Amino acid sequence: MRIGVFICHCGSNIGGTVDCAAVAEKALTFPDVVHATDPMYTCAEPGQAAIEAAIAEHRLDGVVVASCSPRMHEPTFRRTVERAGLNRYMLEMANIREHVSWIGKDVEANTNKAAELVAIAVAKLRGNTPLQAKSFTVNKRALVIGGGVAGIQAALDCADGGIPVVLVEREATIGGKMAKLDKTFPTVDCSACILGPKMVDVAQHPLITLYACSEIEDISGYVGNFTVKIRKRATYVDWDKCTGCGACSEKCPGKNTPDAFNELTGLTTAIKIAFPQAIPKKAVITASHCRQMTRGKCGVCAKICPTKAINYEMQDEIITEEVGSIVAATGYDLMDWTVYEEYGGGRYPDVITALQYERLLSSSGPTGGHIKRPSDGREPRNIVFIQCVGSRDCSIGRPHCSAFCCMYTAKQAVLTKDHLPESQSYVFYMDIRAPGKMYEEFTRRAVEEYGVDYIRGRVSCVYPDGRGGYVVMGVDTLLGKPVEITADLIVLAVGIEGSRGAAALAEKLRISYDSRGFFMESHVKLKPVETNTIGVYLAGVCQGARDIPASVAQGSAAAAKVLGLFSKDRLENDPQIANVDIRRCVDCGKCIRCCPFGAIEEVSVRGEQKAHVIETVCQGCGLCAATCPQGAVQLAHSTDNQILAEVNTLCRY
Amino acid sequence: MPVLEGKELRIVGFLCNWCSYGGADSAGVARAAQPTDLRIIRVPCSGRVDPLFIVKALLNGADGVLVSGCHPRDCHYSAGNYYARRRLEVLKQFLPVLGIDDRRFEYTWVSASEAQRWQHVITTFTGRVHALGPAPRFGDSRPLLKVADMALSALRPLGTGKAAALDELKKAIKARLPELECVIGWQQGYDGAHTVPLFAKTPEDVDKLVWGPFNVNNPAVYLPSFKGKKVGIMVKGCDGRSVVEQLQENLINREDVVIFAMPCEGTLDMARVSEKLGRYTSIDAVSCDEAAVTVTADGKEHRFCMADFAQGKCYGCTAPLAATADASVGGPVSVNPGPYTPPELALLDSLSLPERMQFWSGQMERCLRCYACRNACPMCVCRDFCVSDSRDPHWMNQKDDEREKLFFQTIHALHLAGRCTGCGECQRACPVGIPILALRQQISRAVGQLFDGYKAGFDPAATPPLLTYAPEEKNIHERDWK
Amino acid sequence: MMVGYYPGCSAGGSSADYEKSTEAACDALGLRLAEIPDWNCCGSTPAHAVDTELSAALCARNLDIAAKQGVTELLTPCPSCLSNLRHAAKRMEDAAFRARVDDLLDTPAAEKFPEVISVMQGIARHCDEQAIAGRVKKKLKGLKLAAYYGCLMSRPAEIMDFGDPENPTLMESLLAACGAEVVAFPLKTSCCGAAFGIPERAVTARLSGRILALAADMGVDALVAACPLCQMNLDLRQKQAEKAADRLFNLPVLYYTQILGLAFGLGPEKLGLEKLCVSAGGLLEKIEAGLKADESAASAEGDRP
Repeated sequence: MRIGVFICHCGSNIGGTVDCAAVAEKALTFPDVVHATDPMYTCAEPGQAAIEAAIAEHRLDGVVVASCSPRMHEPTFRRTVERAGLNRYMLEMANIREHVSWIGKDVEANTNKAAELVAIAVAKLRGNTPLQAKSFTVNKRALVIGGGVAGIQAALDCADGGIPVVLVEREATIGGKMAKLDKTFPTVDCSACILGPKMVDVAQHPLITLYACSEIEDISGYVGNFTVKIRKRATYVDWDKCTGCGACSEKCPGKNTPDAFNELTGLTTAIKIAFPQAIPKKAVITASHCRQMTRGKCGVCAKICPTKAINYEMQDEIITEEVGSIVAATGYDLMDWTVYEEYGGGRYPDVITALQYERLLSSSGPTGGHIKRPSDGREPRNIVFIQCVGSRDCSIGRPHCSAFCCMYTAKQAVLTKDHLPESQSYVFYMDIRAPGKMYEEFTRRAVEEYGVDYIRGRVSCVYPDGRGGYVVMGVDTLLGKPVEITADLIVLAVGIEGSRGAAALAEKLRISYDSRGFFMESHVKLKPVETNTIGVYLAGVCQGARDIPASVAQGSAAAAKVLGLFSKDRLENDPQIANVDIRRCVDCGKCIRCCPFGAIEEVSVRGEQKAHVIETVCQGCGLCAATCPQGAVQLAHSTDNQILAEVNTLCRY
Repeated sequence: MPVLEGKELRIVGFLCNWCSYGGADSAGVARAAQPTDLRIIRVPCSGRVDPLFIVKALLNGADGVLVSGCHPRDCHYSAGNYYARRRLEVLKQFLPVLGIDDRRFEYTWVSASEAQRWQHVITTFTGRVHALGPAPRFGDSRPLLKVADMALSALRPLGTGKAAALDELKKAIKARLPELECVIGWQQGYDGAHTVPLFAKTPEDVDKLVWGPFNVNNPAVYLPSFKGKKVGIMVKGCDGRSVVEQLQENLINREDVVIFAMPCEGTLDMARVSEKLGRYTSIDAVSCDEAAVTVTADGKEHRFCMADFAQGKCYGCTAPLAATADASVGGPVSVNPGPYTPPELALLDSLSLPERMQFWSGQMERCLRCYACRNACPMCVCRDFCVSDSRDPHWMNQKDDEREKLFFQTIHALHLAGRCTGCGECQRACPVGIPILALRQQISRAVGQLFDGYKAGFDPAATPPLLTYAPEEKNIHERDWK
Repeated sequence: MMVGYYPGCSAGGSSADYEKSTEAACDALGLRLAEIPDWNCCGSTPAHAVDTELSAALCARNLDIAAKQGVTELLTPCPSCLSNLRHAAKRMEDAAFRARVDDLLDTPAAEKFPEVISVMQGIARHCDEQAIAGRVKKKLKGLKLAAYYGCLMSRPAEIMDFGDPENPTLMESLLAACGAEVVAFPLKTSCCGAAFGIPERAVTARLSGRILALAADMGVDALVAACPLCQMNLDLRQKQAEKAADRLFNLPVLYYTQILGLAFGLGPEKLGLEKLCVSAGGLLEKIEAGLKADESAASAEGDRP
């Protein structure tokens, strides 16, 4: 091999504390080095031209550039050597700026260190081989997981862009959490009225295939070519026949079914359509409460159904879809607030979550929009809202802010006054976080126009006073005084976490998630929609707490990413990936077990099972190479021999 | 390359490209002053760092090694650092048994934005290594020869297995024989005090099978070579665990192997037996009672009480009957898993770090590089592709030097991490009697302590701890850098 | 079963009834309380507020005496004593602290102290619910009780080791074993006003009043206390609380040991019931009435052919 070494001065950035000429001179003594110089600015046009000239003149087949961090200029110099006719991967860099000249002023030590870093770069380069990227086709279909407002927006934008979309929703209807809200802040307009038309658009769009009551069973493949298995749960109603007339629900005798759509604030029938505006507007049987299915006698719905859609024997079904890109929009769930013993730990019927209160406020809710206490159906007079229940609380390991509770609490307090003019609302808060457009104005209105009593402080204890009411003991930290309020209803702004099952889904998607079940974006500021798995994007609260406008915006952003990806007909992979020496492979499966991307599969080679790396899926982490005991898996440009060469260069007695 | 004499020590860093290398870059951009000792090797992910790179560095002149990756949950590759955390922690607990101070190796997490943390980490680590001074050079120290104390008490009564229902087992084997390629077991060897493997193909072969304290070999070692063919195997408890481990690793198929098991009462430590027998020309007779074997050699009687002459592993054995078996003769033996440290490991535990280095230095001087240890190991499956003698990857040179030989033992031990069932065949096979089992035992002990008492060879469906991870590790805690 | 016993100074004075009933109830359960000799004050509220080392020395001396008696388990009825003794034992784990305390003592304290627990924990440890139920002679059926622990018994959690610091349930299980109905009393660990009974009577009247009012509103027959000071504030000062709240409570406040004693069929005189300011007469009648109703029901059952 003929190697050329270029020790960059970077003006005085490196030259100031490293004797670059001495390093270049030393480099000439390293194996295979035939040329070494110390240009002033290697990355500038003359510097790059000098490298190209040297490659031609000295017939170099590998180049080491000692300069700034490879995270900065590796792409630059790869293009340089490529222009000179070398394979772009026949380049190694030694970081003698960030790791040497900028962190110490001792010229002797720096010069020695720079020379050693060049030595290990040379040692590594000697093991490099030319690599070629592979290109592959893209299946221009998208999968959107979750039919809340973010998922709806992503699906509609993709479909409007001409991309066929598969939308998978776990519940019986799309709409997500927003469909459960009565009104939205700060305009206090009806949630169903603004979301409803979008839901209908989804149902009617020719390019959108909707699977409700369905979950992701398995995902395999890679960007451009994912294979997705979808479990369509048995609904016991043939949706092809169901017209959504609702006759079954009217006659169903199983009236003690907990109503999940109403956040368990009321009871409903065993067969029902989630809510009047549901999309798809189809009936579903709750098997655990159906008389026919639990006791074997009833069958009222089957008799009454005009289209004979009822099928008590229905089984789950697995559907396979092929897509090229995936948008995760799985939203959130409330944390289990019953860990708070001080609020009764779930034992007091009139201590409810804000989402339950939303259903009490809604005219499609169990009380028809009349605020009534769950315990005795009485109208409450004093209502206490407690914010940050399970948010910003390090004592239970939840330091994050749930972002939208301040605003909906203000909204609910305002609505309470509208519903019950005689009522008085109290809000215990930590800080009011109202940074959105018209938000601060809205919270001020709640205080100034609606007379909501905002008390800055925490509640220490809620207990029934023995006379039907509840005593709320708290502190007003502004006045420095304890506060005691006798309340009829207590509404908790319960903190959020990633939707239940988010972790399992993340494992299937092979994306990271945090301890609260929120998915990790690729870069917190600059790649907020991408994930570390190429072709998988995020929309809405599944990535972190945000309100409706932000969720909608991110839904559109994710759709833009999908459309951008699909604007190319073919994609290229990074060739710095693992490969298997099948002669050495004994098919023990350790690499397959470890691979975070499912990029290694078993294939049959001349009758023997061997591991095989799927080039387009492998991300090049090298975990398999560190796992394989016989060294059969090697990571291109980070082979055992290359790392050993680096170690041996540094450590030799 | 030599270090800057008097100024620097040799510190090698393995930094992942995405977080820690970026963190070191950020520290440079912030002009955060740092010691100059560290030489950074850029790797894609901390999961790429095979612990053997670290041992290689430490055995060959590194005074300190630092691995730094993305914070748990922030791995660019989702999970690489989770695996690294487990493997590097096991390594950290393993190093002292070689006589290497584990403070010379550290792993941590630094994100690309944590310039200050990086400065703090590298300053602290360099300070720590300087405080420890230059690493003692392996092979420089005078050999220290010590032997393990074999005066042990067993967790259960040991015996000769005289009462074992071998005939019943033979009947069971004969019943299954027609469907099997062969049944692997033991037969008498060139004299009554030795057995050799038997690959029984006919009922007459089956009649040659023997059971007793001389059945020292682990027949499981032959199983993987029969992969794809249906064979039977006769196992002691320890052999059975090797079979379970091979099943777990897909080296054999469950439906292709028929396991015949009997409760074992212990096997003899043949090294100590021959030591006591001394030089002899022929074995005249071998007889057994319940507790002891009497060997008559050249007319002289020697009595070997099982309680005194069993293999080290037998004293701590808690499962004398293989749990995974197709035909078992004799009921399960319940043994209370009392506190037990294997004798070889107890010896190492009693030595100081410099003494351990001297100890291995003396032992490795005697190593012939014959690889009998590897060939006897039922879990050593690379066979012809062992990294010890391959050029690509070229982990070892062929020099007959103690460091390379100890490095091979380390490779074997680390490859066995979470897989070694402690059958002890490596040590038994060693023609010069080096107590190399201690290295495997230390790994198994670390794995057990870190992963809720995990023991290899008990559950064919278990995932070995180093091939999985938990986002929150119960027993691995981030060290603070104060 | 013999265990070490540290009565604390209120046992000889304001809570003589607690002392009497503790001894009687434990005796009935076969739990012998061996009072350690020559014990001194635990330092109570003031000592540790002034000087932790001097306060620890007071406790260390008691613990030392107990240790030298061969006691491994030391019981005390008073939560304040319990708190001080356990705090001192914890602090003495620090070698430097121990050295400073040892300087204050005549002889260095014993290396290992006995474990200090409350009498309530001691009873529960040595007699399970079945054993207690088996000892019951007069089933407290129909009696509705509220368990009140006071603020010290379960706090701080890391020192006291008394279960959930906000919602301990040990006393409830003892009372339930006696056949009583025990309500979930939300204020079971709220402050009674404690030592403010002397300098700031209004504070104690308000805080005790809140506890009494809730208990009265929940319709209980008695509040059951475990702390001498709480019992005093709720019982002796009940009239003050009534005045402040402008309502009558007339709620007997008994020690749990007195309730246990009643259930074990011990006479009121053995339990010091006469010391209560709010008479427990109504309570006793209710117990007897409950028993009679039970008997007649049982005999009615027996009369049936």
